[in-house]
Amino acid sequence: MTNSQPASSEPSPPSRGRIAERLLPGGEEPDPRFTLANERTFLAWIRTSLALLAGGIAIEAFTADLFLEPVRKGLAIVLLLLGMLLSAGAAVRWLRVERSMRNKAPLPLPLIVPLLAAAGALAAAVVLVFILWR
Amino acid sequence: MMALVTVSAIFLRWLPAHGFPILLLFAVSSAAALAIYLTQRRRYSTSSHGIARENVDADITAVLWTAFAGVVLGALGIGVVLAA
Repeated sequence: MTNSQPASSEPSPPSRGRIAERLLPGGEEPDPRFTLANERTFLAWIRTSLALLAGGIAIEAFTADLFLEPVRKGLAIVLLLLGMLLSAGAAVRWLRVERSMRNKAPLPLPLIVPLLAAAGALAAAVVLVFILWR
Repeated sequence: MMALVTVSAIFLRWLPAHGFPILLLFAVSSAAALAIYLTQRRRYSTSSHGIARENVDADITAVLWTAFAGVVLGALGIGVVLAA
């Protein structure tokens, strides 16, 4: 008795590439509008990340007469770190959403939203404390 | 792409304040913008054909490269700030 698979008359789907096969295994291609919407959301996060990166360098460059050096450097590094994390987090979020859509699973919660909110609140608190204390 | 071009111009604006290390940030953001510009026609064509046949492959390589560029820009920015 053999265990062979029945021959399928349907043509095999074209290869999606090694990286895609590895990072987005299984499931089936979602509606193209959803894939493109996921990419647009990723790009929106990247724009936020770029704004934070530019803001971080701006604080360091132009607030020398406003903030003490440790505060200035601290704020700049918080913003730059946040920009880095958002950039990496946006890619992770894109991957998780794409996987969920391929497998028709519920979409994952956006972990970068609380990260952005917490870091924004922290930066605002540092500035507030500094202004009140000054 | 335009956001990267804008950010690279902003980085250039800070050249007097931070000196030559800022050129690294300018170079990375400009290179990323140029790469997007040079490949956008192909990606647009792929996407529009995909919409027509209702099957668009996720462009995972572009997503990973863009995110990598953001991480590199952040790391270089932290280096510039710490070195200032």
